[in-house]
Amino acid sequence: MWSVVDIVRDNWLLLLIGQYPHGPLGGIAATLILSVFGILLAFPVSVALALARLSPWRVLRWPVTGLVYATRGIPLLMIILWTYFLLPVLTGHTVSGFTTMLCTLVLYEGCYLSEVVRAGIEALPKGQSEAAKSLGHGYYGRMRYIILPQALFNMLPSMLSQFISTIQDTTLGYVINVQELTFAANQVNNQLLTQPFQVFFILAITYFVVCFTLTQATHWLERRVAARRRGIPAAVPVTPAADGLPLPTGEELP
Amino acid sequence: MISFVDVNKWYGDYHALCDINAEVAKGEVVVVCGPSGSGKSTLIRTVNRLEEIKSGKLTVDGADIQGPRAARDLNRMRSRIGFVFQSFNLFPHLSVLENVTLSPMKVRGVKREDARATAMRLLTRVGLANKAGSFPAQLSGGQQQRVAIARALAMEPPAMLFDEPTSALDPEMVGEVLSVMRGLAEDGMTMMCVTHEMGFAREVADRVWFMDAGRILEVADPETFFSSPQHPRSQRFLSDLRAH
Ligand SMILES: Nc1ncnc2c1ncn2[C@@H]1O[C@H](COP(=O)(O)OP(=O)(O)OP(=O)(O)O)[C@@H](O)[C@H]1O
Ligand SMILES: [Mg+2]
Repeated sequence: MWSVVDIVRDNWLLLLIGQYPHGPLGGIAATLILSVFGILLAFPVSVALALARLSPWRVLRWPVTGLVYATRGIPLLMIILWTYFLLPVLTGHTVSGFTTMLCTLVLYEGCYLSEVVRAGIEALPKGQSEAAKSLGHGYYGRMRYIILPQALFNMLPSMLSQFISTIQDTTLGYVINVQELTFAANQVNNQLLTQPFQVFFILAITYFVVCFTLTQATHWLERRVAARRRGIPAAVPVTPAADGLPLPTGEELP
Repeated sequence: MISFVDVNKWYGDYHALCDINAEVAKGEVVVVCGPSGSGKSTLIRTVNRLEEIKSGKLTVDGADIQGPRAARDLNRMRSRIGFVFQSFNLFPHLSVLENVTLSPMKVRGVKREDARATAMRLLTRVGLANKAGSFPAQLSGGQQQRVAIARALAMEPPAMLFDEPTSALDPEMVGEVLSVMRGLAEDGMTMMCVTHEMGFAREVADRVWFMDAGRILEVADPETFFSSPQHPRSQRFLSDLRAH
């Protein structure tokens, strides 16, 4: 058991940031950066894909539906390998493992999230869109002010779960030499040679701690969203008018 | 103000509106009544093109809203027709004040201060100025519906449509919504109301349209309609109504 502590003591910096600053950033830092950027870039992609899938135009709907089905039906590892070999051909440059992995994640998580976004939009009562139409809002205004704010707010917990999956998915970057946490753990293992169980125990615990913390955050968020749906205005204070109009806040509420 | 000429609508092979010819004059209050499934909602929803028609012509304030050329101008036309839904359809993520100011600001480009001032005036009018900062879920049904009316009025429409505005309300809240509507009628608003509130129809309406099976069977002033309905179908409808 003490060997686990020793391994952590001797290698914590490598596990945390890889060989940085003498090499590329790695370890947990790279894993988190990859996941965060992956999900942040995947988010607008997913909204665009969802809107395309809901659009009345077949030219938009069919190819995107095909893309989403294909992506969901192919293992992530396969997509990583495809991107790894295809991206240099398409761009004419060598592409780093990190960039390849990021592109793959954006595509893959974008497709998965788009289904969540689509479900979120479709779950809203039709009356919301009709009310917006009747007030004269065009497609953009309806989406921007009425539909997406509600759908995306309701989706927050699902998006956080998707983020957790993304963190786990980054381990697959190992196969194309992306220097993230799994890669760093394997480096440690190769140095020590004799203690694979301890090393990979540390690796598993680290992933678990990060993901478990986020799962707890998701549950907390879910409760907040549910409370907000029941009408308790959680974190959205109404800004009082600056123009001297009588704008009472919530004092006289039940 | 609102005129239907030979309007027909189909849902698949169900003939939902048959040869509708009718007109709502400026400043007139029309109550549309009829049994469930007769096409009242369908009729009123064609007026701002929430439903499309198959044939015929429908003009609102001179604009051919169902015409092929309307598609481009549809949003502007819709913003000139207030619509109040049975289920309120307030935007739950926005405060009462934001519900009322959103569309004037985003659709008509009204400045924030002006939109707020108008909104507060309208909320005062519907008796809800003290709820400006609340969220819809914190309001009773009657209060939500009054906010919905204020929201529609904020676009300063020359005509208002109501599709059973009190049907989803508890009985004790019906009165507060009807009195707002009565006030609007007194101010000369052109109104088309689908409602089962026969007291309101009798008192406020200039004319009653009776519908059944997608047709307007009788058009009469409320006095005549309620005391001596002409069409046998309206006679049966009224006696059924009184039986309850
Ligand atoms: N989207 C639709 N698709 C197919 N049929 C429909 C659709 N909407 C309405 N109908 C049919 O059209 C007819 C008229 O419906 P409508 O909702 O206009 O009736 P209504 O007079 O408003 O009734 P209620 O008093 O119950 O609201 C009904 O027979 C209904 O089943
Ligand atoms: Mg109806």
